[in-house]
Amino acid sequence: MEHVDELIPAHALRSLDLADEQAVEAHLAVCDRCRRQLAEFEAVAATLAYAAPPAAPPPALRDSLLSAIQPVVEAPAVAARPERGSFWSRLALVSAPALAALVLALGIWNLSLRSDLDSTKEQLAAGSVVHLSGVGNVVWKDGQATLYADIGPAPAGKVYEAWVIRGGTPIAAGTFDGGGRTELQLDRAVAGGDTVAVTVEPAPGRDQPTGKPIAAGRL
Amino acid sequence: MTAGPPQENPKTEHLSDHGLLALVARGDTEAFARLYDQYSEAAYSLALRVVRDRELAADVVQEAFLAVWNQARTFDVRRGQPSTWILTVTHNKAVDTVRREQRRRTEPIVEGQEGTDPGPPADERAWLGMTRQRVRQALRQLPDPHREVLELAYFAGFSQSELAERLALPIGTVKSRTFAAMTALRAELGKAGVTLEDEWNTSTS
Repeated sequence: MEHVDELIPAHALRSLDLADEQAVEAHLAVCDRCRRQLAEFEAVAATLAYAAPPAAPPPALRDSLLSAIQPVVEAPAVAARPERGSFWSRLALVSAPALAALVLALGIWNLSLRSDLDSTKEQLAAGSVVHLSGVGNVVWKDGQATLYADIGPAPAGKVYEAWVIRGGTPIAAGTFDGGGRTELQLDRAVAGGDTVAVTVEPAPGRDQPTGKPIAAGRL
Repeated sequence: MTAGPPQENPKTEHLSDHGLLALVARGDTEAFARLYDQYSEAAYSLALRVVRDRELAADVVQEAFLAVWNQARTFDVRRGQPSTWILTVTHNKAVDTVRREQRRRTEPIVEGQEGTDPGPPADERAWLGMTRQRVRQALRQLPDPHREVLELAYFAGFSQSELAERLALPIGTVKSRTFAAMTALRAELGKAGVTLEDEWNTSTS
């Protein structure tokens, strides 16, 4: 396996160009050693934050943020037992994010804080939303789920593949190429408790995932 | 940070960041507030430095902390310290914003910003002030070209190819200089007494 050591510090600075960034991400998904290296250089990069001119955040930000995260409904109970087994069976135990955090969803980045709760209610009416970090959001309602992805293009010869994971078993649910905003209606029915995950697979996609997900979220 | 309820909370008072984050993962809003109080100033200062606009910086910090709330359950302790994660998430969102807005600026990071210390003396504030001093101290030890690539990459959001263009250097030189700068910074941070290791992981790694 070819490691990506020489690119990791730049990745920690978020300074890689897209092609390098994708190559590094793809490698990190399968390499513990390079992930540890990245963690180390991320710690170095993060200290640079303390070289920024000191500025106090507006007090209103704290209040708004704390009111935005008050749960609008009770979050589902967490399965607390750690479970040995494959990554995929463990993934099924990743719990649902609190519904209040839905304000992150749908790429609405500049929501005014004051409208957060209203927006959350609107999104709940449209369906439930789960954020897949770095990929996009899944909106689901009545057993149908749609992935709204906003992610760079898949590496040459690869596609992104969505999976519905139930009881630790991933079921292929569609592929897409990335490189902009993509709307993918998952071709598997979903239910609460399912996990939706996205992996990078050799084109035109596989029946079973060949690597770990680049993102996952529980419905 | 300057307003808001008193920070004394018997439940979260003595918890490590990892402990706080574990509570946040279970939906504990008090633990979340405490993490916010500890790191919002560093995050906001970073965001403001990158996006150069108070409103955008507040948006960035809001997004970042919502992501922390949202994704605390998937935080992997092997990633290191929660504070690194929080600041990395903030930095990513700030860079996304600045690339979207084409708003990058290139003021130097060390000069001219010493010692505005707004709040009352408190443990957190003392720690923050000390960390700032040590990081600046470490940066001052770096050769100018190293400091320059770190400034332009981290605060101005330049990619490696953009750096090559701006500095009129071959891309290979930019890549090796970035690598060397980060390696040198790591060494200088160690000498300046900035802890990079994670107390959770030192025994296992």
